[in-house]
Amino acid sequence: MIHRSEKARRASDGLVKIMSNLAALIGIVFLVWIIYVVLGRGIRAFNIDFFTRLPAPPGIEGGGVASAILGTLEIVILAAFMGIPAGILGGVYLAEFGKGNRFGASVRFATNVMMGIPSIIVGLFVYGLLVVTTGHFSGYAGATALAIIMLPIVARTTEDMLNLVPNELRESGLALGSPRWRMTLAIVFRAASSGLITGVLLAVARVSGETAPLLFTALNSPYWPTSLNQPTANLTVTIFNYAMSPYRDWQQTAWGASLLIMAAVLALNFTARMAFREARK
Amino acid sequence: MPFEQTTNPDRQLAPAHAGKQEADVHLEIPPRIQVRNLNFWYGKHQALFDNNLDILPNRVTAIIGPSGCGKSTHIRVYNRIYKLYRDQHAEGEVLLDGQSIMGEVDFIELRRKIGMIFQRPTPFPMSVFENVAYGLRLHYRLSKSELADRVEKALDRAALWDEVKDKLNDPATALSGGQQQRLCIARAIAVEPEVLLMDEPTSAIDPLATAKIEELIESLKLSYTIVIVTHNLQQAARISDYTAFFYEGYIIEYGATKQIFTNPAKKQTENYITGRFG
Repeated sequence: MIHRSEKARRASDGLVKIMSNLAALIGIVFLVWIIYVVLGRGIRAFNIDFFTRLPAPPGIEGGGVASAILGTLEIVILAAFMGIPAGILGGVYLAEFGKGNRFGASVRFATNVMMGIPSIIVGLFVYGLLVVTTGHFSGYAGATALAIIMLPIVARTTEDMLNLVPNELRESGLALGSPRWRMTLAIVFRAASSGLITGVLLAVARVSGETAPLLFTALNSPYWPTSLNQPTANLTVTIFNYAMSPYRDWQQTAWGASLLIMAAVLALNFTARMAFREARK
Repeated sequence: MPFEQTTNPDRQLAPAHAGKQEADVHLEIPPRIQVRNLNFWYGKHQALFDNNLDILPNRVTAIIGPSGCGKSTHIRVYNRIYKLYRDQHAEGEVLLDGQSIMGEVDFIELRRKIGMIFQRPTPFPMSVFENVAYGLRLHYRLSKSELADRVEKALDRAALWDEVKDKLNDPATALSGGQQQRLCIARAIAVEPEVLLMDEPTSAIDPLATAKIEELIESLKLSYTIVIVTHNLQQAARISDYTAFFYEGYIIEYGATKQIFTNPAKKQTENYITGRFG
Protein backbone atom coordinates (compact mmCIF):
# COMPACT_ATOMS: atom_id res chain seq x y z
CA MET A 1 0.00 0.00 0.00
CA ILE A 2 1.24 3.40 -0.96
CA HIS A 3 0.45 5.99 1.63
CA ARG A 4 -1.16 9.01 0.10
CA SER A 5 -1.59 12.37 1.67
CA GLU A 6 -5.06 13.67 2.42
CA LYS A 7 -4.46 16.51 -0.01
CA ALA A 8 -3.85 14.13 -2.92
CA ARG A 9 -6.95 12.14 -2.04
CA ARG A 10 -9.09 15.24 -1.92
CA ALA A 11 -7.68 16.40 -5.24
CA SER A 12 -8.44 13.16 -7.06
CA ASP A 13 -11.89 13.02 -5.44
CA GLY A 14 -12.59 16.55 -6.68
CA LEU A 15 -11.33 15.76 -10.16
CA VAL A 16 -13.55 12.69 -10.54
CA LYS A 17 -16.51 14.65 -9.24
CA ILE A 18 -15.97 17.44 -11.77
CA MET A 19 -15.54 15.01 -14.65
CA SER A 20 -18.68 13.04 -13.88
CA ASN A 21 -20.71 16.21 -13.41
CA LEU A 22 -19.43 17.44 -16.73
CA ALA A 23 -20.36 14.18 -18.46
CA ALA A 24 -23.86 14.35 -16.99
CA LEU A 25 -24.15 17.94 -18.14
CA ILE A 26 -23.24 17.02 -21.73
CA GLY A 27 -26.20 14.61 -21.84
CA ILE A 28 -28.60 17.22 -20.52
CA VAL A 29 -27.23 19.94 -22.81
CA PHE A 30 -28.06 17.93 -25.92
CA LEU A 31 -31.54 17.09 -24.68
CA VAL A 32 -32.29 20.73 -23.90
CA TRP A 33 -30.74 21.84 -27.18
CA ILE A 34 -32.86 19.42 -29.23
CA ILE A 35 -36.02 20.42 -27.40
CA TYR A 36 -35.15 24.11 -27.87
CA VAL A 37 -34.52 23.84 -31.61
CA VAL A 38 -37.48 21.57 -32.38
CA LEU A 39 -39.80 23.67 -30.25
CA GLY A 40 -38.60 26.95 -31.78
CA ARG A 41 -38.91 25.76 -35.36
CA GLY A 42 -41.85 23.42 -34.98
CA ILE A 43 -44.20 25.72 -33.12
CA ARG A 44 -44.38 27.99 -36.23
CA ALA A 45 -45.96 25.16 -38.19
CA PHE A 46 -48.75 24.72 -35.65
CA ASN A 47 -52.10 26.11 -36.72
CA ILE A 48 -55.61 24.76 -37.17
CA ASP A 49 -54.86 23.54 -40.70
CA PHE A 50 -51.81 21.61 -39.51
CA PHE A 51 -53.99 19.45 -37.28
CA THR A 52 -57.10 19.19 -39.44
CA ARG A 53 -56.19 19.19 -43.16
CA LEU A 54 -54.67 16.76 -45.59
CA PRO A 55 -51.19 17.49 -46.94
CA ALA A 56 -51.07 20.09 -49.69
CA PRO A 57 -48.75 20.08 -52.69
CA PRO A 58 -45.66 22.27 -52.30
CA GLY A 59 -46.35 25.94 -52.73
CA ILE A 60 -50.03 25.69 -51.88
CA GLU A 61 -51.11 27.27 -48.61
CA GLY A 62 -53.06 25.52 -45.85
CA GLY A 63 -51.92 21.92 -45.93
CA GLY A 64 -51.75 19.81 -42.77
CA VAL A 65 -50.75 16.42 -41.45
CA ALA A 66 -54.11 15.30 -40.05
CA SER A 67 -53.98 12.07 -42.04
CA ALA A 68 -50.48 11.29 -40.72
CA ILE A 69 -51.51 11.97 -37.10
CA LEU A 70 -54.47 9.65 -37.48
CA GLY A 71 -52.43 7.04 -39.33
CA THR A 72 -49.69 7.00 -36.69
CA LEU A 73 -52.31 6.63 -33.97
CA GLU A 74 -53.96 3.73 -35.80
CA ILE A 75 -50.69 1.95 -36.50
CA VAL A 76 -49.32 2.40 -32.97
CA ILE A 77 -52.59 1.35 -31.33
CA LEU A 78 -52.82 -1.76 -33.51
CA ALA A 79 -49.16 -2.54 -32.81
CA ALA A 80 -49.83 -2.15 -29.07
CA PHE A 81 -52.75 -4.58 -29.27
CA MET A 82 -50.49 -7.14 -30.91
CA GLY A 83 -47.23 -6.53 -29.07
CA ILE A 84 -48.33 -5.83 -25.49
CA PRO A 85 -50.37 -8.97 -24.71
CA ALA A 86 -47.76 -11.21 -26.30
CA GLY A 87 -44.97 -9.34 -24.53
CA ILE A 88 -46.66 -9.49 -21.14
CA LEU A 89 -47.46 -13.19 -21.44
CA GLY A 90 -43.88 -13.85 -22.54
CA GLY A 91 -42.62 -11.88 -19.54
CA VAL A 92 -44.88 -13.89 -17.24
CA TYR A 93 -43.43 -17.08 -18.66
CA LEU A 94 -39.88 -15.84 -18.13
CA ALA A 95 -40.47 -14.65 -14.57
CA GLU A 96 -42.87 -17.30 -13.25
CA PHE A 97 -42.28 -20.51 -15.16
CA GLY A 98 -39.08 -20.20 -17.18
CA LYS A 99 -36.70 -19.98 -14.25
CA GLY A 100 -33.80 -22.38 -14.22
CA ASN A 101 -34.87 -24.46 -17.22
CA ARG A 102 -33.25 -24.55 -20.59
CA PHE A 103 -36.23 -23.34 -22.62
CA GLY A 104 -36.61 -20.31 -20.35
CA ALA A 105 -32.93 -19.50 -20.74
CA SER A 106 -33.12 -19.68 -24.53
CA VAL A 107 -36.25 -17.52 -24.63
CA ARG A 108 -34.53 -14.95 -22.41
CA PHE A 109 -31.47 -14.98 -24.66
CA ALA A 110 -33.60 -14.64 -27.80
CA THR A 111 -35.47 -11.71 -26.25
CA ASN A 112 -32.20 -9.94 -25.47
CA VAL A 113 -30.98 -10.48 -29.00
CA MET A 114 -34.27 -9.19 -30.41
CA MET A 115 -33.93 -6.01 -28.38
CA GLY A 116 -30.63 -5.35 -30.12
CA ILE A 117 -31.84 -5.93 -33.68
CA PRO A 118 -31.76 -2.65 -35.65
CA SER A 119 -35.31 -1.57 -36.40
CA ILE A 120 -34.59 -1.24 -40.11
CA ILE A 121 -33.96 -4.99 -40.24
CA VAL A 122 -37.33 -5.62 -38.61
CA GLY A 123 -38.80 -3.38 -41.33
CA LEU A 124 -37.09 -5.38 -44.08
CA PHE A 125 -38.22 -8.64 -42.50
CA VAL A 126 -41.86 -7.55 -42.46
CA TYR A 127 -41.44 -6.19 -45.99
CA GLY A 128 -40.55 -9.70 -47.09
CA LEU A 129 -43.24 -11.24 -44.94
CA LEU A 130 -46.26 -9.01 -45.59
CA VAL A 131 -45.49 -6.51 -48.36
CA VAL A 132 -43.94 -8.78 -50.98
CA THR A 133 -46.52 -11.52 -50.38
CA THR A 134 -49.56 -9.20 -50.55
CA GLY A 135 -48.08 -7.08 -53.32
CA HIS A 136 -48.64 -3.72 -51.61
CA PHE A 137 -47.55 -1.63 -48.63
CA SER A 138 -50.03 -1.49 -45.79
CA GLY A 139 -50.72 -0.11 -42.33
CA TYR A 140 -51.06 -3.70 -41.13
CA ALA A 141 -47.49 -4.42 -42.15
CA GLY A 142 -46.38 -1.24 -40.35
CA ALA A 143 -48.21 -2.24 -37.18
CA THR A 144 -46.71 -5.73 -37.37
CA ALA A 145 -43.19 -4.30 -37.62
CA LEU A 146 -43.78 -2.04 -34.63
CA ALA A 147 -45.32 -4.93 -32.66
CA ILE A 148 -42.21 -7.04 -33.28
CA ILE A 149 -40.07 -4.20 -31.92
CA MET A 150 -42.33 -3.82 -28.86
CA LEU A 151 -42.49 -7.51 -28.03
CA PRO A 152 -39.03 -7.99 -26.48
CA ILE A 153 -39.14 -4.63 -24.68
CA VAL A 154 -42.45 -5.44 -23.02
CA ALA A 155 -41.37 -9.03 -22.26
CA ARG A 156 -38.14 -8.00 -20.57
CA THR A 157 -39.62 -5.15 -18.53
CA THR A 158 -42.48 -7.43 -17.50
CA GLU A 159 -40.00 -10.06 -16.37
CA ASP A 160 -37.95 -7.48 -14.45
CA MET A 161 -41.01 -6.03 -12.76
CA LEU A 162 -42.39 -9.44 -11.77
CA ASN A 163 -38.98 -10.37 -10.39
CA LEU A 164 -39.25 -7.43 -8.01
CA VAL A 165 -42.29 -9.04 -6.38
CA PRO A 166 -41.02 -10.95 -3.32
CA ASN A 167 -41.43 -14.71 -3.37
CA GLU A 168 -43.11 -14.61 0.05
CA LEU A 169 -46.08 -12.95 -1.62
CA ARG A 170 -46.36 -15.77 -4.14
CA GLU A 171 -46.00 -18.33 -1.38
CA SER A 172 -48.71 -16.72 0.75
CA GLY A 173 -51.07 -16.77 -2.19
CA LEU A 174 -50.37 -20.43 -2.86
CA ALA A 175 -50.45 -21.28 0.86
CA LEU A 176 -54.07 -20.09 0.96
CA GLY A 177 -54.91 -22.68 -1.65
CA SER A 178 -54.82 -20.40 -4.66
CA PRO A 179 -54.16 -22.01 -8.02
CA ARG A 180 -51.00 -20.66 -9.55
CA TRP A 181 -52.61 -18.77 -12.44
CA ARG A 182 -55.00 -17.02 -10.09
CA MET A 183 -52.22 -16.11 -7.67
CA THR A 184 -50.22 -14.65 -10.56
CA LEU A 185 -53.12 -12.59 -11.90
CA ALA A 186 -54.66 -11.42 -8.64
CA ILE A 187 -51.58 -10.93 -6.50
CA VAL A 188 -48.33 -10.77 -8.47
CA PHE A 189 -49.76 -8.65 -11.30
CA ARG A 190 -51.37 -6.29 -8.86
CA ALA A 191 -48.18 -5.94 -6.87
CA ALA A 192 -46.26 -5.16 -10.05
CA SER A 193 -49.01 -3.20 -11.82
CA SER A 194 -47.38 0.22 -11.95
CA GLY A 195 -44.11 -1.28 -13.15
CA LEU A 196 -45.98 -3.12 -15.89
CA ILE A 197 -47.78 0.06 -16.96
CA THR A 198 -44.44 1.88 -17.02
CA GLY A 199 -42.92 -0.79 -19.26
CA VAL A 200 -45.86 -0.70 -21.65
CA LEU A 201 -45.85 3.10 -21.90
CA LEU A 202 -42.11 3.20 -22.54
CA ALA A 203 -42.46 0.56 -25.26
CA VAL A 204 -45.24 2.59 -26.90
CA ALA A 205 -43.12 5.73 -26.66
CA ARG A 206 -40.18 3.89 -28.17
CA VAL A 207 -42.05 2.62 -31.26
CA SER A 208 -44.09 5.75 -31.90
CA GLY A 209 -40.91 7.49 -32.99
CA GLU A 210 -39.69 4.68 -35.26
CA THR A 211 -39.25 5.55 -38.93
CA ALA A 212 -37.14 2.85 -40.53
CA PRO A 213 -39.55 -0.06 -39.99
CA LEU A 214 -42.42 1.99 -41.45
CA LEU A 215 -40.50 3.01 -44.58
CA PHE A 216 -40.68 -0.54 -45.90
CA THR A 217 -44.12 -1.41 -44.57
CA ALA A 218 -46.72 1.33 -44.10
CA LEU A 219 -44.83 3.65 -46.44
CA ASN A 220 -46.87 6.87 -46.57
CA SER A 221 -49.93 8.26 -48.25
CA PRO A 222 -51.44 11.66 -48.97
CA TYR A 223 -54.95 10.38 -48.15
CA TRP A 224 -56.98 9.70 -45.04
CA PRO A 225 -56.15 6.29 -43.49
CA THR A 226 -59.57 4.81 -44.19
CA SER A 227 -58.21 1.28 -44.27
CA LEU A 228 -54.99 -0.16 -42.90
CA ASN A 229 -54.88 -2.52 -45.87
CA GLN A 230 -53.20 0.14 -48.01
CA PRO A 231 -50.20 2.45 -47.71
CA THR A 232 -50.92 4.49 -44.61
CA ALA A 233 -49.96 8.06 -43.77
CA ASN A 234 -47.83 8.42 -40.65
CA LEU A 235 -45.86 11.17 -38.96
CA THR A 236 -42.35 9.72 -38.99
CA VAL A 237 -42.20 8.88 -42.69
CA THR A 238 -43.82 12.26 -43.37
CA ILE A 239 -40.98 13.92 -41.46
CA PHE A 240 -38.50 11.86 -43.46
CA ASN A 241 -40.04 12.80 -46.83
CA TYR A 242 -40.75 16.46 -46.08
CA ALA A 243 -37.42 17.19 -44.43
CA MET A 244 -35.58 15.79 -47.46
CA SER A 245 -37.70 17.80 -49.89
CA PRO A 246 -36.46 21.08 -51.37
CA TYR A 247 -39.68 22.96 -50.52
CA ARG A 248 -39.65 25.42 -47.63
CA ASP A 249 -43.25 24.87 -46.57
CA TRP A 250 -42.81 21.11 -46.51
CA GLN A 251 -39.67 21.49 -44.42
CA GLN A 252 -41.65 23.70 -42.07
CA THR A 253 -44.33 21.02 -41.80
CA ALA A 254 -41.62 18.44 -41.03
CA TRP A 255 -40.49 20.57 -38.08
CA GLY A 256 -44.06 20.74 -36.86
CA ALA A 257 -44.50 16.99 -37.14
CA SER A 258 -41.19 16.49 -35.28
CA LEU A 259 -42.39 18.68 -32.45
CA LEU A 260 -45.65 16.75 -32.28
CA ILE A 261 -43.90 13.36 -32.02
CA MET A 262 -41.37 14.68 -29.54
CA ALA A 263 -44.08 16.12 -27.32
CA ALA A 264 -46.03 12.86 -27.44
CA VAL A 265 -42.97 10.77 -26.55
CA LEU A 266 -42.03 13.15 -23.71
CA ALA A 267 -45.59 13.02 -22.40
CA LEU A 268 -45.56 9.21 -22.46
CA ASN A 269 -42.23 9.16 -20.62
CA PHE A 270 -43.49 11.56 -17.96
CA THR A 271 -46.66 9.53 -17.49
CA ALA A 272 -44.59 6.37 -17.16
CA ARG A 273 -42.36 7.96 -14.54
CA MET A 274 -45.32 9.24 -12.59
CA ALA A 275 -46.98 5.82 -12.65
CA PHE A 276 -43.78 4.25 -11.38
CA ARG A 277 -43.28 6.82 -8.66
CA GLU A 278 -46.87 6.38 -7.53
CA ALA A 279 -46.18 2.69 -7.04
CA ARG A 280 -42.96 3.22 -5.12
CA LYS A 281 -44.96 4.86 -2.33
CA MET B 1 -64.61 -29.53 12.89
CA PRO B 2 -61.30 -29.93 14.67
CA PHE B 3 -62.79 -31.60 17.74
CA GLU B 4 -64.31 -34.47 15.84
CA GLN B 5 -60.88 -35.89 15.24
CA THR B 6 -60.06 -36.11 18.90
CA THR B 7 -62.94 -38.49 19.51
CA ASN B 8 -62.09 -40.60 16.52
CA PRO B 9 -61.21 -44.04 17.93
CA ASP B 10 -58.70 -44.71 15.21
CA ARG B 11 -56.11 -45.58 17.80
CA GLN B 12 -53.71 -47.67 15.77
CA LEU B 13 -52.71 -44.50 13.94
CA ALA B 14 -51.07 -43.26 17.10
CA PRO B 15 -47.96 -45.36 17.47
CA ALA B 16 -45.98 -45.43 20.64
CA HIS B 17 -43.67 -42.51 20.03
CA ALA B 18 -41.70 -39.92 21.85
CA GLY B 19 -44.30 -37.43 20.69
CA LYS B 20 -46.83 -38.53 23.24
CA GLN B 21 -45.70 -37.19 26.53
CA GLU B 22 -46.92 -37.01 30.08
CA ALA B 23 -50.30 -35.37 30.17
CA ASP B 24 -51.37 -36.56 26.76
CA VAL B 25 -50.15 -40.12 26.98
CA HIS B 26 -53.23 -41.44 28.75
CA LEU B 27 -55.55 -39.56 26.41
CA GLU B 28 -54.27 -41.50 23.41
CA ILE B 29 -55.16 -38.71 21.06
CA PRO B 30 -54.48 -39.65 17.46
CA PRO B 31 -51.96 -37.20 16.06
CA ARG B 32 -53.15 -34.69 13.49
CA ILE B 33 -49.92 -34.88 11.55
CA GLN B 34 -47.53 -37.83 11.42
CA VAL B 35 -44.14 -37.48 9.84
CA ARG B 36 -42.24 -40.65 8.96
CA ASN B 37 -38.70 -40.85 7.63
CA LEU B 38 -38.86 -37.47 5.99
CA ASN B 39 -35.80 -36.50 3.98
CA PHE B 40 -35.42 -33.27 2.06
CA TRP B 41 -33.05 -31.94 -0.56
CA TYR B 42 -32.24 -28.53 -1.99
CA GLY B 43 -30.78 -29.70 -5.26
CA LYS B 44 -28.08 -32.13 -4.16
CA HIS B 45 -27.78 -30.73 -0.67
CA GLN B 46 -29.71 -32.77 1.87
CA ALA B 47 -31.37 -30.57 4.47
CA LEU B 48 -33.53 -33.01 6.47
CA PHE B 49 -32.57 -36.49 7.63
CA ASP B 50 -35.12 -39.14 8.64
CA ASN B 51 -37.44 -36.78 10.49
CA ASN B 52 -40.14 -38.48 12.57
CA LEU B 53 -42.69 -36.39 14.39
CA ASP B 54 -46.26 -36.60 15.68
CA ILE B 55 -48.12 -33.31 15.90
CA LEU B 56 -51.05 -33.51 18.31
CA PRO B 57 -54.32 -31.72 17.60
CA ASN B 58 -55.24 -28.57 19.49
CA ARG B 59 -51.78 -28.21 20.87
CA VAL B 60 -49.05 -25.74 20.07
CA THR B 61 -45.91 -27.48 18.91
CA ALA B 62 -42.78 -25.38 18.79
CA ILE B 63 -39.86 -26.14 16.53
CA ILE B 64 -36.58 -24.74 17.80
CA GLY B 65 -32.97 -24.98 16.75
CA PRO B 66 -30.13 -22.88 15.40
CA SER B 67 -30.36 -21.10 12.05
CA GLY B 68 -30.16 -23.34 9.02
CA CYS B 69 -31.06 -26.51 10.93
CA GLY B 70 -34.11 -27.26 8.79
CA LYS B 71 -36.96 -25.95 10.96
CA SER B 72 -38.67 -23.98 8.21
CA THR B 73 -37.81 -26.59 5.61
CA HIS B 74 -39.57 -29.18 7.76
CA ILE B 75 -42.89 -27.36 8.07
CA ARG B 76 -42.78 -26.26 4.43
CA VAL B 77 -43.29 -29.92 3.55
CA TYR B 78 -46.64 -30.07 5.38
CA ASN B 79 -48.40 -27.82 2.86
CA ARG B 80 -46.12 -28.83 -0.03
CA ILE B 81 -45.23 -25.17 -0.61
CA TYR B 82 -41.66 -26.20 -1.43
CA LYS B 83 -43.12 -27.52 -4.70
CA LEU B 84 -43.00 -23.98 -6.05
CA TYR B 85 -39.28 -24.50 -6.51
CA ARG B 86 -38.09 -26.92 -9.11
CA ASP B 87 -34.87 -27.97 -7.38
CA GLN B 88 -36.41 -28.91 -4.03
CA HIS B 89 -37.71 -32.36 -3.27
CA ALA B 90 -38.86 -34.44 -0.35
CA GLU B 91 -39.02 -38.16 0.33
CA GLY B 92 -40.78 -39.99 3.12
CA GLU B 93 -44.30 -39.88 4.45
CA VAL B 94 -46.43 -37.16 5.96
CA LEU B 95 -49.96 -38.03 7.04
CA LEU B 96 -52.70 -35.53 7.81
CA ASP B 97 -55.45 -37.24 9.84
CA GLY B 98 -54.06 -40.55 8.63
CA GLN B 99 -54.15 -39.59 4.95
CA SER B 100 -50.94 -39.22 2.99
CA ILE B 101 -50.27 -35.75 1.66
CA MET B 102 -47.06 -36.66 -0.13
CA GLY B 103 -48.35 -38.16 -3.37
CA GLU B 104 -50.55 -36.60 -5.99
CA VAL B 105 -52.78 -34.63 -3.66
CA ASP B 106 -55.09 -31.71 -4.34
CA PHE B 107 -52.87 -28.81 -3.24
CA ILE B 108 -55.81 -26.46 -3.17
CA GLU B 109 -57.73 -28.50 -0.62
CA LEU B 110 -54.56 -29.43 1.29
CA ARG B 111 -53.65 -25.78 1.67
CA ARG B 112 -57.15 -24.91 2.78
CA LYS B 113 -56.71 -27.43 5.59
CA ILE B 114 -53.16 -26.35 6.41
CA GLY B 115 -52.68 -22.60 6.59
CA MET B 116 -49.34 -20.86 6.79
CA ILE B 117 -48.07 -17.64 8.31
CA PHE B 118 -44.72 -16.31 7.16
CA GLN B 119 -41.86 -14.55 8.84
CA ARG B 120 -42.50 -11.20 7.22
CA PRO B 121 -46.12 -10.06 7.03
CA THR B 122 -47.30 -10.56 3.46
CA PRO B 123 -50.43 -8.45 2.93
CA PHE B 124 -51.71 -8.76 -0.63
CA PRO B 125 -51.73 -5.50 -2.62
CA MET B 126 -55.44 -4.94 -2.03
CA SER B 127 -57.77 -3.66 0.68
CA VAL B 128 -57.96 -5.09 4.19
CA PHE B 129 -61.34 -6.61 3.39
CA GLU B 130 -60.18 -8.13 0.10
CA ASN B 131 -57.17 -9.69 1.79
CA VAL B 132 -59.43 -11.82 3.96
CA ALA B 133 -62.04 -12.29 1.25
CA TYR B 134 -59.43 -13.63 -1.19
CA GLY B 135 -59.15 -17.06 0.40
CA LEU B 136 -62.88 -17.26 1.07
CA ARG B 137 -63.67 -16.59 -2.57
CA LEU B 138 -61.24 -19.32 -3.59
CA HIS B 139 -62.88 -22.04 -1.55
CA TYR B 140 -66.51 -21.09 -1.01
CA ARG B 141 -69.41 -19.68 -2.96
CA LEU B 142 -70.74 -17.01 -0.66
CA SER B 143 -73.28 -14.26 -1.01
CA LYS B 144 -72.12 -10.71 -0.38
CA SER B 145 -73.52 -10.62 3.13
CA GLU B 146 -72.16 -14.05 4.03
CA LEU B 147 -68.76 -12.99 2.77
CA ALA B 148 -68.81 -9.79 4.81
CA ASP B 149 -69.91 -11.85 7.80
CA ARG B 150 -67.09 -14.37 7.46
CA VAL B 151 -64.52 -11.62 6.94
CA GLU B 152 -65.68 -9.90 10.12
CA LYS B 153 -65.55 -13.16 12.06
CA ALA B 154 -62.04 -13.94 10.88
CA LEU B 155 -60.80 -10.45 11.72
CA ASP B 156 -62.50 -10.72 15.08
CA ARG B 157 -60.84 -14.03 15.90
CA ALA B 158 -57.50 -12.56 14.90
CA ALA B 159 -58.13 -9.77 17.43
CA LEU B 160 -57.98 -7.19 14.67
CA TRP B 161 -61.60 -6.24 14.02
CA ASP B 162 -61.75 -3.33 16.44
CA GLU B 163 -58.62 -1.79 14.94
CA VAL B 164 -59.60 -2.11 11.27
CA LYS B 165 -63.40 -2.01 11.19
CA ASP B 166 -63.33 1.61 10.00
CA LYS B 167 -60.64 1.04 7.38
CA LEU B 168 -61.71 -2.15 5.66
CA ASN B 169 -61.35 -0.49 2.29
CA ASP B 170 -57.92 0.96 2.96
CA PRO B 171 -54.94 -0.78 1.41
CA ALA B 172 -53.66 -3.50 3.72
CA THR B 173 -50.12 -2.21 3.31
CA ALA B 174 -51.12 0.90 5.27
CA LEU B 175 -51.51 -1.15 8.47
CA SER B 176 -48.67 -1.46 10.99
CA GLY B 177 -46.40 -4.50 10.84
CA GLY B 178 -48.10 -6.19 13.78
CA GLN B 179 -51.54 -5.50 12.34
CA GLN B 180 -50.42 -6.84 8.97
CA GLN B 181 -49.29 -10.07 10.60
CA ARG B 182 -52.62 -10.45 12.40
CA LEU B 183 -54.33 -9.75 9.08
CA CYS B 184 -52.36 -12.64 7.60
CA ILE B 185 -53.54 -14.82 10.49
CA ALA B 186 -57.14 -13.68 9.88
CA ARG B 187 -56.72 -14.47 6.21
CA ALA B 188 -55.44 -17.95 7.02
CA ILE B 189 -58.14 -18.84 9.57
CA ALA B 190 -60.96 -17.43 7.43
CA VAL B 191 -60.94 -20.58 5.29
CA GLU B 192 -61.25 -22.77 8.41
CA PRO B 193 -58.05 -24.76 8.30
CA GLU B 194 -57.24 -27.58 10.71
CA VAL B 195 -53.59 -26.74 11.07
CA LEU B 196 -51.77 -23.42 11.22
CA LEU B 197 -48.09 -23.42 10.36
CA MET B 198 -46.23 -20.37 11.62
CA ASP B 199 -42.74 -19.70 10.35
CA GLU B 200 -41.18 -17.31 12.87
CA PRO B 201 -44.32 -15.19 12.84
CA THR B 202 -43.05 -12.59 15.31
CA SER B 203 -39.43 -12.20 14.29
CA ALA B 204 -40.12 -9.15 12.12
CA ILE B 205 -42.38 -7.25 14.50
CA ASP B 206 -42.00 -5.30 17.73
CA PRO B 207 -42.37 -6.75 21.25
CA LEU B 208 -45.82 -5.29 21.93
CA ALA B 209 -47.22 -6.69 18.69
CA THR B 210 -45.47 -9.96 19.50
CA ALA B 211 -47.28 -10.16 22.84
CA LYS B 212 -50.59 -9.69 21.03
CA ILE B 213 -49.83 -12.45 18.59
CA GLU B 214 -48.75 -14.80 21.37
CA GLU B 215 -52.06 -14.16 23.13
CA LEU B 216 -53.81 -14.86 19.87
CA ILE B 217 -51.98 -18.17 19.43
CA GLU B 218 -53.08 -19.17 22.93
CA SER B 219 -56.72 -18.57 22.02
CA LEU B 220 -56.47 -20.14 18.57
CA LYS B 221 -55.17 -23.45 19.85
CA LEU B 222 -58.68 -24.30 21.07
CA SER B 223 -59.75 -24.67 17.45
CA TYR B 224 -56.56 -25.33 15.53
CA THR B 225 -53.43 -27.38 15.62
CA ILE B 226 -50.52 -24.98 15.63
CA VAL B 227 -46.93 -25.61 14.64
CA ILE B 228 -44.65 -22.67 15.22
CA VAL B 229 -41.04 -22.29 14.19
CA THR B 230 -39.27 -19.87 16.47
CA HIS B 231 -35.82 -18.57 17.20
CA ASN B 232 -37.03 -17.20 20.47
CA LEU B 233 -36.63 -19.84 23.18
CA GLN B 234 -38.64 -17.85 25.72
CA GLN B 235 -41.44 -17.69 23.21
CA ALA B 236 -41.35 -21.46 22.70
CA ALA B 237 -41.39 -21.97 26.46
CA ARG B 238 -44.26 -19.49 26.94
CA ILE B 239 -46.69 -20.63 24.30
CA SER B 240 -46.01 -24.22 23.29
CA ASP B 241 -47.15 -27.54 24.72
CA TYR B 242 -44.61 -29.60 22.81
CA THR B 243 -41.18 -28.73 21.54
CA ALA B 244 -39.03 -30.34 18.88
CA PHE B 245 -35.34 -29.51 18.82
CA PHE B 246 -33.77 -29.62 15.37
CA TYR B 247 -30.07 -29.70 14.71
CA GLU B 248 -28.42 -29.96 11.30
CA GLY B 249 -31.50 -31.52 9.75
CA TYR B 250 -32.08 -34.10 12.47
CA ILE B 251 -34.77 -34.04 15.12
CA ILE B 252 -32.59 -34.41 18.19
CA GLU B 253 -35.32 -34.40 20.78
CA TYR B 254 -39.07 -34.06 20.91
CA GLY B 255 -41.25 -33.92 23.98
CA ALA B 256 -43.41 -31.87 26.28
CA THR B 257 -42.11 -28.31 26.35
CA LYS B 258 -41.76 -28.40 30.13
CA GLN B 259 -39.57 -31.47 29.99
CA ILE B 260 -37.46 -30.15 27.09
CA PHE B 261 -36.75 -26.92 28.90
CA THR B 262 -36.26 -28.27 32.41
CA ASN B 263 -34.93 -31.76 31.92
CA PRO B 264 -33.72 -32.39 28.37
CA ALA B 265 -32.70 -35.97 27.66
CA LYS B 266 -30.00 -35.10 25.14
CA LYS B 267 -26.81 -33.20 25.77
CA GLN B 268 -27.19 -31.19 22.52
CA THR B 269 -30.64 -30.00 23.55
CA GLU B 270 -29.31 -28.91 26.91
CA ASN B 271 -26.43 -27.05 25.30
CA TYR B 272 -28.74 -25.21 22.95
CA ILE B 273 -31.27 -24.30 25.59
CA THR B 274 -28.65 -23.07 27.99
CA GLY B 275 -27.18 -20.93 25.23
CA ARG B 276 -23.94 -22.77 24.68
CA PHE B 277 -24.43 -22.66 20.90
CA GLY B 278 -26.89 -21.53 18.29
